[in-house]
Amino acid sequence: MKKDKVKIGIYELTGCAGDALLILDCEKELIDIFSAADIQSFAMAKSDNIDGPLDIALVEGSVTTEREIEEIKDIRQRAKIVVAIGLCATVGGIQGRYKPHSVWEADYKSVYGETEMTHTKPIQSQPIDAYIEVDYYLPGCPIGKDQFLNFFTRMLGGNPPEKYPQPVCVSCKHNENDCLLTKGEFCLGPLTADGCGAICINHNLPCVGCWGPIEGANYTSEYHLLKEKGFDPEFIKKKLANFSGTKIGKLIESIEKERP
Amino acid sequence: MRIVKLHKSNLMSFLEEISQESELWAPVKKYEDKHIFKNIEDFDQIDLDYTRTILPPKKLLFPPSFRMYEATPKKFHADFSHISKKTLFGVHPCDIHGLLIMEQFFKQSYEDPYFSEARKNLTIIGHSCWPDEHCLCRSTQTHIVEEGYDLFFTDLDKNYLVWIGSSHGDDLIQLKPDIFDEDVTEKDIQQFMRWREERDKAFQSEIQFEAMPDLMELKLGDSVWEELGEACLACGSCTSVCPTCNCYNVRDNPVLGKEASDITRCWDACTLENYSAVAGGENFREKKSDRLKLWYTHKLQAFISKYGKPACVGCGRCVATCPVDINIKTVAQSLQGEKVDAFWRRLNQEVTQ
Repeated sequence: MKKDKVKIGIYELTGCAGDALLILDCEKELIDIFSAADIQSFAMAKSDNIDGPLDIALVEGSVTTEREIEEIKDIRQRAKIVVAIGLCATVGGIQGRYKPHSVWEADYKSVYGETEMTHTKPIQSQPIDAYIEVDYYLPGCPIGKDQFLNFFTRMLGGNPPEKYPQPVCVSCKHNENDCLLTKGEFCLGPLTADGCGAICINHNLPCVGCWGPIEGANYTSEYHLLKEKGFDPEFIKKKLANFSGTKIGKLIESIEKERP
Repeated sequence: MRIVKLHKSNLMSFLEEISQESELWAPVKKYEDKHIFKNIEDFDQIDLDYTRTILPPKKLLFPPSFRMYEATPKKFHADFSHISKKTLFGVHPCDIHGLLIMEQFFKQSYEDPYFSEARKNLTIIGHSCWPDEHCLCRSTQTHIVEEGYDLFFTDLDKNYLVWIGSSHGDDLIQLKPDIFDEDVTEKDIQQFMRWREERDKAFQSEIQFEAMPDLMELKLGDSVWEELGEACLACGSCTSVCPTCNCYNVRDNPVLGKEASDITRCWDACTLENYSAVAGGENFREKKSDRLKLWYTHKLQAFISKYGKPACVGCGRCVATCPVDINIKTVAQSLQGEKVDAFWRRLNQEVTQ
């Protein structure tokens, strides 16, 4: 008996749609992707989308409106496996940059004033796991082609994805780049998930951390190292927070507690 | 072993001859103060005025990532396509020792076919060097080489003294026998002895490696390990750049649209968090301090007990590489009870103040 194809839905919440675009950009593999799986929903690629039961939902983007809370809950309810893809879905992205709620409210007011939103109510941006349980995370800004194809093919075969918990420094060294951090530049390679192949440092630009923080990242040591190299503590905290999403809030607070 | 002489003006024509037979790899300047071993297309790129390359020569025998085989449900096809005939010119004694340690490891119980095949295809031409402030090879006794090369060039001003270390090395000399002078004079010998004496005096760093196995044992519970763990960024750089680190991971990359998988082998590092993770979600060395302890126990204790020498060849790469100054020098200094000037020490003083 021939097995039914795995039913997959690809969804975009708030973000730049770069992850969905990257999947479409797998041009050589696109026919294989669409033949190997039953792509039920993929708004960027097709119009005949069905919102039914799914084996796997791939979700990019952060949750930024009340309507998106409903949307992500609906996806969770329909899908056996939910995967957060890309920086925004995994940690919150730039729009989910860590800041206390009161600061967010004040920022919101200064941009939109008292304008009433009719479509849906905006909320402080959060990664999708702030609202639902997530089975797997595929980081990236956008996600990497090789990691995505590896992940996708494993999932189709019913295998769990392989995690890549290594910092950018690993690829960076393998490419024999000069360590920018050692040279006194503001490089976030040791804190950031690899998968980009150290592309910025390959071009002599420091890592800004756009793939999001790696589990177990040593923020305290990096913070003090950058401070010793002459960077201003406030500047360091701002830069650390840029791509690290909401989850590093506690870490930043702990750094502040350590060094008032 | 035979020693001949080569006038420096003949070096390039000799290398050109060699490059007809195999890929020529040599040190090339990548950054103002950093070199790498590179496949030479233009002979002018070769820069022998270097101390250490970013990655050691292990990358030629065992690349950071390569496909080992393609697996299908019924069989597998080994893939040796990353291996080609190479000549590596300009290798310093420490790195030759590093390759010998690698070879010992990959051939000890089960011969690794990928390593052996690559090694068979690699010609090693060593070159003398001058220590900088990070070099520790006199302490590890790896500043002198007696084996592990086909030819070894010692730079004596106008000439090279060329050691022939293998029959293949002799074949290389026979490619252009006219340029090699069999007549090594008393003057040359005196010049070599003087060079050796001055080189040995030029070392600025020293570690008592003989004391390390005992010190490691005595200080396994020392608070210094926690201190190192607090500062370690777990970036894996020390492991990537170490000439004797040989751990790898094997990854399964299923091919979309085919009932096949590419099995790749890539460098791994015991300093990375995932290294000691096992099925079921357990991790034996989740703490950075435990991982560093493992790294240093291996280099400074376990290897010495088994092989009578440390798994450190004194190349100074970890010293030049670690952003937080965790390296063989500062760790050994600390174990010896010396004063240490390192970021990891300053960090702990600052945080605990």
